[in-house]
Amino acid sequence: MNRKVLVIDDEQSVRNAFMLALEDTGSDVDTAENGSTGLEKFRNGSYDLVFLDLKMPVMDGATALRRIRELDQSVPVYIVTAFHQEYFAELKEAQRDGINFELLHKPVSGDDIRLVVEAALGGTAAREDKVDG
Amino acid sequence: MDKKYLLKLYIVGGTSHSERVVAEVRKICEEELDHHYVLEVIDVLEHPALAEDERIIATPTLIKVLPEPLRRVFGDLSDREAVVLGLDLRPLGDTPDTDVP
Repeated sequence: MNRKVLVIDDEQSVRNAFMLALEDTGSDVDTAENGSTGLEKFRNGSYDLVFLDLKMPVMDGATALRRIRELDQSVPVYIVTAFHQEYFAELKEAQRDGINFELLHKPVSGDDIRLVVEAALGGTAAREDKVDG
Repeated sequence: MDKKYLLKLYIVGGTSHSERVVAEVRKICEEELDHHYVLEVIDVLEHPALAEDERIIATPTLIKVLPEPLRRVFGDLSDREAVVLGLDLRPLGDTPDTDVP
């Protein structure tokens, strides 16, 4: 049975990147353009994995994360964000409240999307780094 | 100086899930490497620049920094076989000499 992945991001290019990366991988990708629409889809669907942008109109990612966790404690939720302190204030509040989530670095490549989905749903992914220079 | 593995674990700290991940990784390290390792746990929310420098894609990620080559695994870090194979963790007699101060 195909895995169901929900991608909530206000950028069409990001939603497309996930859809392209995961086509032909046994994953059904559903998308939403803000937290409110995403939450509605999550409430009415049955998802194995959620990717969530932080800065979105209508309902931001941190709020959507809290609402998703009220509905489901176990579904893996990756916050898709750049790794900078300025983006982390609301996530630190969620962290202090014991809300489980993971981070996915933004920008993210198609290869990385596939690796992370495999790791999140199928087990462990490994990589040997190329030596620089 | 001891010859040791140097491992770095990047997580979102302070959550029940991350506490479980840290415990599982420590258990694997203890049982596979005895005391011949140093494990640094880094909370990406507290140290995003470190994660950026290390080119972390996602949490949780476990990196074997030493001995080279640098290897990384992420996802289900409770899968002992996948972690051991992915990081190429072997008894120290089978690895190149590595000194960690």
